[in-house]
Amino acid sequence: MSKPKRSPEDFAAEIRAHLDLESDDLKASGLNEQEARRQAHLAFGSPALTQERLYLHQRVAWLDNLRRDLSFATRTFARNPGFTLTVILTLALAIGANTAIFSLVNALLLKNLPYPHPDRLATLYARYTGVPNAVADGDPINLDGQHWEQLRDSVPSLISAIDNGMTSGINLQSQASPSSPASGQHTQYLHATRVSARYFEVLEIPLYLGRAFTLDEDRPSGPPVAILSYNLWRTTFNADPSILGRTVLLKGVAHTIIGVLPDTPTPLNADIYTALQPSRQGEGGGTNFGAIVRLRDHATWQQADAELNRAWVARAANVRSHNPNATVTFFATPLQRAEVGDLRPKVLVLQLAAGFILLIACANLAGLTLVRTLRRTSEFATRLALGASRGQILRQLWIENLLLALTGGLISIAVGYLALRGLLTLLPENFLPAAAVPTASIPLDLTVLAFTLLTALATSILFGMLPALTTRKIDLRSSIAARSGSGHSSLRLRQALIAGEVALTVVLLAAAGLLIRTLIHLETMPPGFNPTGIMTAKASLDDARFHDPAAFQKFVSASTLAMRQIPGVQNSGMGLSLPYERALNNNIALRDGSQSGREILSAMVYASPGYFETLQVPLLAGRTFTDADTATGQPVAIINQTFATKFLKDQNPIGHYLGKNRLIIGVVGDVAAFPALESLDVPLGTEETLYIPAFQVEASGLTLVHTWFQPSWLVRTDPARTNPAHPTSNLTAQMQHALASVDPNLPFSGFYSMSDLLARRLATQRVEVALLSTMASLALLLSALGIFALVANLVAQRTREIGIRIALGSTIRQAMLNIGQSGLLASAAGLFIGLALCAVALRALHSVLYGIGVYDLPTLAAVFLTLAVVILLASTLPTLRIAPIDPAQTLREE
Amino acid sequence: MPTQDPSTDRIALLQGTLDMLILRTLAAGPSHGQGIARLIQLQSEDTFLVDHGSLYLALQRLEEKDLVAAEWGVSTNNRKARFYALTSAGREELATRTSQWHKLARAIGLILNPLPEPAP
Repeated sequence: MSKPKRSPEDFAAEIRAHLDLESDDLKASGLNEQEARRQAHLAFGSPALTQERLYLHQRVAWLDNLRRDLSFATRTFARNPGFTLTVILTLALAIGANTAIFSLVNALLLKNLPYPHPDRLATLYARYTGVPNAVADGDPINLDGQHWEQLRDSVPSLISAIDNGMTSGINLQSQASPSSPASGQHTQYLHATRVSARYFEVLEIPLYLGRAFTLDEDRPSGPPVAILSYNLWRTTFNADPSILGRTVLLKGVAHTIIGVLPDTPTPLNADIYTALQPSRQGEGGGTNFGAIVRLRDHATWQQADAELNRAWVARAANVRSHNPNATVTFFATPLQRAEVGDLRPKVLVLQLAAGFILLIACANLAGLTLVRTLRRTSEFATRLALGASRGQILRQLWIENLLLALTGGLISIAVGYLALRGLLTLLPENFLPAAAVPTASIPLDLTVLAFTLLTALATSILFGMLPALTTRKIDLRSSIAARSGSGHSSLRLRQALIAGEVALTVVLLAAAGLLIRTLIHLETMPPGFNPTGIMTAKASLDDARFHDPAAFQKFVSASTLAMRQIPGVQNSGMGLSLPYERALNNNIALRDGSQSGREILSAMVYASPGYFETLQVPLLAGRTFTDADTATGQPVAIINQTFATKFLKDQNPIGHYLGKNRLIIGVVGDVAAFPALESLDVPLGTEETLYIPAFQVEASGLTLVHTWFQPSWLVRTDPARTNPAHPTSNLTAQMQHALASVDPNLPFSGFYSMSDLLARRLATQRVEVALLSTMASLALLLSALGIFALVANLVAQRTREIGIRIALGSTIRQAMLNIGQSGLLASAAGLFIGLALCAVALRALHSVLYGIGVYDLPTLAAVFLTLAVVILLASTLPTLRIAPIDPAQTLREE
Repeated sequence: MPTQDPSTDRIALLQGTLDMLILRTLAAGPSHGQGIARLIQLQSEDTFLVDHGSLYLALQRLEEKDLVAAEWGVSTNNRKARFYALTSAGREELATRTSQWHKLARAIGLILNPLPEPAP
């Protein structure tokens, strides 16, 4: 059937030929020319109809209709560029926002982790009942050495592995190229993790080169070996194929490289891995390990959970000994959920907000489209009269809406992509779990594109449906005769849309307002020290040469002295952790007094002499550390005010003892920190803290804390004494220089001012506030535009009526009120509905608010006032056009 | 629709049967559309009311199915006309349809007019 289509001209020619032949025949039977022609035509019927039937026969019906509707739609839009652009841009923005956020949702919550059989990977949680602050879903738990052995040996349904719970910073020293030793040592700061032997087996990541750790290497005195990440191998070691067996100096100890990982992400995404070598002592004495498990084939999660609870019967009993009413069950929870657990509610809230914006945008567009459709009533009536069916007209409208929506959707992909890029640059480092976002670039994959398409289709239905429904009621005669429709029912509809918009806007504004207040609360929290003029620098002391406390003491004294000698520096110090950071937490026993013997958990920081003075933390009683507080002298400690109030209330803490023999010699003010104690679920707060002199940390503790923390050096510069020839921008170089003068092979891993640290701490809040405020402002703008459009439209429609009213004696103000009140009433209704919605909706936020309650009156009042002002403006500004209406002229137009 | 006298006894043709009649007419030899219309009218003793529009559409369909072949030519009185000729496929189709029609007609005839009793 590959014949070319019969052309209409050819067909017409054939019909003409037929008529000629027929006339000839009729003439032959006696009729004259004219009569023959007439008879021939009568006999044939309507050539036009026949022609049309050929056309109908030839075309593919729906394709043809589609093409016609499309071209009509395009022409109509080209004639109304204002309307078209408004709709497309509004849609592009609204859908684009949704696409951007959905990309995040998709990457974090929907896509599978990039490991084989990710549904069989899990981490361990505990569910507590009868314990205060218990979360229904369970909390992730860490293991100590004993728990690990029980897990490894008594839970056969799982293949288990542990890591040291974090990446820490260490220094790698290697020959830049082994072939030329003269090229010198190359010291590099790396992120490292320590893992147990079967770690990569659990993840089912085959090694790219070499092998994983053996059980032998994972024993406490096993040989020091290391596995490189693919990236590290490629960059630092130039993808050297003979890397296996080479030695590098890690933490001051020679390690042999036994393997290289492939280029896939891992949960901790470290640069280098060493063997964990867990035991029940030291680090294994506390719950410091994180677990990752894989369900064996043919085993079920129920089996695994049951075995786990049996294996950890002693652990559960331990919990009960502290909380007699508590029960605890342990269970495995899918790794995906665990990794993103924290972010899930935040991302979902953002998606909801983006959805609100889309709804508001659709409401506006529905109003616009409704007005436009009503204006075309006479066009539709004419088409109906000419023989179109209602179905054809509805189809035309649907196609128009679809065209707009799909164009908007297409552009929104670009908008969404740009928005996403911008969002990702805003987010702080390591905000997103490394495995979920391997290269920190979330692609716009098929799921996201499908989502965009569906959203576009849904919006076309949303804003197209209402106007299309109104075409059902077109009465032919009156429509053709009357001017553009001013349907009363359409006004009610538009008012309902406005009310809905305003309600959603209220909720968004309230949410943004609450988050803003939370952020302000956190940012203006009294720091407890003087943050301006301080520069800090971190370095990793996880190295064999700092294991000896004497060497450590010499090093710390020399380095802080060297820093103090930098021109412009007023004071210097060094400490394990700083304000705004998370400190170590440790148990210590109280002595003396009523609570003697009680073990309490407290944050702990070691500090060098000068630490408190550099920070300018107020000294409330006693003294701070001096050079006299050495390892051989009396062990001393300083506590902060919270500690004193909590545990040594109504007593003078100075002179009391803690732990084995530690004497409290001073009390300092509280500083704001990231709480180390898990009972406080805030990003910033004050907690009981114990300070001990850096020189009085004993050897095993020293080694241990340096695997978890990088200590910081601090300097305070005096702005008055700073020599303009040596500006502070040079300070970091001078600090590094000072450190190098004491130990040339120790690089600083980073320099941070206190505002940098605060920014890091509050990054999540800042991003949330930025995003939600932007969305709330957008919603407010859209709503204002919607109200404005409604009232402006009414003014235009009712110009005649207004003219008559004025002629009959109404004042201009009354006329304005009469028109404006439609907008005002709808908006006011929306405002109150919105406030009612807030009562329910805002409760979702309570887990992210700090320092204020969910129903915070000042916020709600501010929202109410803002909206009231905006509504008033939007409703009354368009009515100003009433003033110049000349009633005489309007009446003349009758 | 042509304004014909409705009192005439002409019966409107169904589409399928029109195709069959066209093919039969062309079996005798090629002809143009107007000629086919005349022939059908004549041969049916004026029973059939051939709607000329439908005729040309039927011819178009037959041509698309390769049952007839068409080309422009000159008529007996020097008029330009489009001539249709039966193809071999068309001949086969005609045979099939004719036998189907006979079967159909016989079956309906049996129901409408019972067979005469065989003479004893």
